[in-house]
Amino acid sequence: MTDKFCMVVSEGSFDKAMMPLIMGTTGASMGMEVHVFYTFFGLKLLKKGMKPKLPGMMRFFTGMMEKKMSKFKIPGYQEMMEQAKDLGVHFYACSTSMSLMGMKEADLMEGTKVLGASAFLNLAADSKMTLFIG
Amino acid sequence: MHGSDNTAGVDVVEKDATLDAKGLMCPMPIVQLARKIKEMKSGQILELLADDIGAKEDVPAWCSRTGNQLVGQEEDGKTFSFYIKIK
Repeated sequence: MTDKFCMVVSEGSFDKAMMPLIMGTTGASMGMEVHVFYTFFGLKLLKKGMKPKLPGMMRFFTGMMEKKMSKFKIPGYQEMMEQAKDLGVHFYACSTSMSLMGMKEADLMEGTKVLGASAFLNLAADSKMTLFIG
Repeated sequence: MHGSDNTAGVDVVEKDATLDAKGLMCPMPIVQLARKIKEMKSGQILELLADDIGAKEDVPAWCSRTGNQLVGQEEDGKTFSFYIKIK
């Protein structure tokens, strides 16, 4: 049976944005079924073409961080997202947060499913690992 | 037949493809490995080259978890060569 690996993302800064993608692509590469649930401030990470920034005042240094990552051949946010989707990682937007943040389904990147807490918890209940990011 | 540290016998491993992941850091060698394997057939052997320090443990772990067999492993200075038989 395939191991399920679930993650909940509740913040939308750059570091919190990369974590589920890096872990998700790794899990998917290892044959796990990965489900990532974005809620509250994490929801904006699922916006089409989103470019996350480092938290607080550090946001002005995002460019520097991106340059450094590029030097180490680490893919950027959008590229990493595409790789994750390509490997079958599932992305979910919290339905309630969408209403709170005034987001519409049309704002979400392609391939995102809208899900409620109960449906997600149903997935997470029998998953091997569930991680909370942010 | 031989343990993973034993490099004798690696010379006779016939590789069907090579994936050069040198210069990439964890988890990229594994992510690329998983994608490459999808394009190959059961029984084929993939040669994976990496110079990421994490790869030394990442690749055997990936193999054991996915059921692909690590049939050979070499270390030449900073470069690791892995020979993976596709299940």
